[in-house]
Amino acid sequence: MSASFVKTKRKTWWKDYALWFILPAFALYSVFVIWPTLSSINLSFTSWDGINPDIRYIGFENFKEMWNSPRVHNALINTIYLAIALVLLENIVALALAVLVDKVRWFRNLFRSIFYFPVLMSGIIMGFIWMIILNYNFGVVNQLLDAIGLGNLKTDWLGNPDFALLSIILSTVWKAAGYYMIIYLAGLQGIPQELMEAASIDGAGRWKQFRHITFPLLAGATTVCVMLSMIGSLKMFDQIAVMTNGGPGFATETLTYIIYRVAFGEGRQGFGTALALVLFILILLISLVQIKVLRKREVQM
Amino acid sequence: MASKRLLKLASGILSASLVLTACGGNNGNSGSSSSPSPSPSASSGSSSPQASQDTPTPVTLSIGYATGDPAGKKAIEDVLDAFSAAYPHITIKNLSETTSDSYLDWLKTKDAVGEFPDVVEMRDTKVFADAGKLAELPEELHGLFSYLPSYEGKYYNAPLSANAPNGILYSKKAYADAGVTELPKTYDEFIAIQEKLLASGTSPIVVGGKDLWHMGFWVNYFLISQVYAKDPDWNSKRTAQTASFTDAQVVQAITDYKELFSKYVDKGWLSTADNQTASILVSGKAAQLFSGPWMIGQILEADPNFELGFYALPDREGKTTVVGLPGLSGWSLSSEAAKDSNKVEAFSAFVKFFFDPAQYKTFIENSGSIPSTSAKMDIEANEIMQQVLAIAADPGIQKSMMINQWYGENAIPPQFRNWYYKLLQELIVNKGDVAEYMKQADAEYDSNVKANQQ
Repeated sequence: MSASFVKTKRKTWWKDYALWFILPAFALYSVFVIWPTLSSINLSFTSWDGINPDIRYIGFENFKEMWNSPRVHNALINTIYLAIALVLLENIVALALAVLVDKVRWFRNLFRSIFYFPVLMSGIIMGFIWMIILNYNFGVVNQLLDAIGLGNLKTDWLGNPDFALLSIILSTVWKAAGYYMIIYLAGLQGIPQELMEAASIDGAGRWKQFRHITFPLLAGATTVCVMLSMIGSLKMFDQIAVMTNGGPGFATETLTYIIYRVAFGEGRQGFGTALALVLFILILLISLVQIKVLRKREVQM
Repeated sequence: MASKRLLKLASGILSASLVLTACGGNNGNSGSSSSPSPSPSASSGSSSPQASQDTPTPVTLSIGYATGDPAGKKAIEDVLDAFSAAYPHITIKNLSETTSDSYLDWLKTKDAVGEFPDVVEMRDTKVFADAGKLAELPEELHGLFSYLPSYEGKYYNAPLSANAPNGILYSKKAYADAGVTELPKTYDEFIAIQEKLLASGTSPIVVGGKDLWHMGFWVNYFLISQVYAKDPDWNSKRTAQTASFTDAQVVQAITDYKELFSKYVDKGWLSTADNQTASILVSGKAAQLFSGPWMIGQILEADPNFELGFYALPDREGKTTVVGLPGLSGWSLSSEAAKDSNKVEAFSAFVKFFFDPAQYKTFIENSGSIPSTSAKMDIEANEIMQQVLAIAADPGIQKSMMINQWYGENAIPPQFRNWYYKLLQELIVNKGDVAEYMKQADAEYDSNVKANQQ
């Protein structure tokens, strides 16, 4: 009796104690993140312009407009296309790089650093650099094509709607792959060498070893990487804003880009918030499904 | 137990102080750029009739203006210094700061934290007038300007300058090499020159299409010469749905635009930024640029020996219409400051001082802009700039505005301009059908109007 009393008393006391440490962070987080997020749901039903104190409610008009707008549809398709392409490419390249730097004998730290360097750059800077590289008149790519006599392959990489999104995808893979490489590399180094030896004694070749041992055992790293790259690509904004401004025409507009343009460029906070809400729900759904699916294939040793 | 209680107390204090430090950081930042100055309330409180007659009551006037353009920023700063010297009783508190935000966002932020400037360079008059932040311009100042923009029948702005006329900036050498001896008198002659340039192996026109606003120069040349020159109220008719983008004259304008861009514009135009156009022109990669007088300095800076020419582009009948009316922007008085008669007086003194020919001449020369005042001035500028000023002052050349510069009844939905320019880019890259695309423009325009009315 008295023992249990002491126990519960101690427990509540601990709770109380922890509360004091959580409180400042929780208060700040509530004031600056949770409360604005929740109150913005409210704004998505208004036609607020971001400045007028008189906020008018217009019901579901914003969502109706979204449903009927070809521009929003185009952006949604681009967003999904970007997400799928980026998740696949980033992870394949990252995994390949990780296997490479794991196996390489000389200068392994040098290679690791080189592949990781692009990650350290901000998206804006990276966008500017690639914009210059891909420029039609002055860019390195077109000048190289000219120099090796392939001048007729010269393309306005960011100005041609057939290549603009592709150019953005490839440069983003170049930037982001190094980050996921580190995660995969950590996973690779956690795989016990004995398994590989056992497999090779059983006559498994390099590919079989990778297919049946390395890849399944990397499931944990894959979950994290796919998750992160999916979120990263769904919210990608800076590269697009810098490299193409959503153009040519509407060719490279994504949901995040439209949200920015509408809410801050055109002064339609209400519509922008409604779009952001839709993007939030989209990311939430995709992430939940993804975690469920990917967690299933993780194995414990 | 006691020590534990002490620990609990200490952790409580610690957490509280953490919260407070966070707030402290904010307070420190908000008051950063202001110099120590007498508080406005103190100065307004001590105003008595006798005092203002003998020695003027000291007044503090906060001021905010756009600092994006270095030449313009410097020119305004010089005026402010001269003004402070001439009116020692008026303390200018300069709130302007260079941020990465757009000027509108910066002003919104200032408004949100209660630091909306007393005197403000207003560029979005509609937004702030609708929100009740602006006072009307005092009557006595109206006479200073040759044309005063009004919004809903009221004057809010003392325009800093008129809109500069656009024109063709061309390489005299490329024209000579292509055998062009005379400047075009009609649009068809202009097209003939493009053919000659193509034949001589020069890319005729460079366009900085990566910057959407740069698209505006060409798009509005066609719209102004074929739509607005004949009907300055076309926009209001479009809003009322009595005019359409599928009207013959609009379709003709956009068809001309499409033809020009498909045939004569340098290939990389969609990834060329406005700030690259000068070097493409100077390097001889392209022969012409359609832009405004602010490019003259940039071009001559890139190559001082470049033989640059300038002319306003005529239409098919040989009539010239250029951008040149002042927009709905300029120095404005905040409605908050208008409640204090001393501040109103100081504002009037400032505007009179700013637009005084002795002062204004220097401002115009330094910022490279076009005067908006009615008083005559002899402006010192290079030969090409003199040409621009002559075009601006020539009553025979009609003045108009770009699609998004119209205001009042003729204002277009603010979100429409960029969308329209993007649509017109897509029209070129997809080799689309003009009438079809103009139907889309109608639909978007109407839905924008509807969205903004809500």
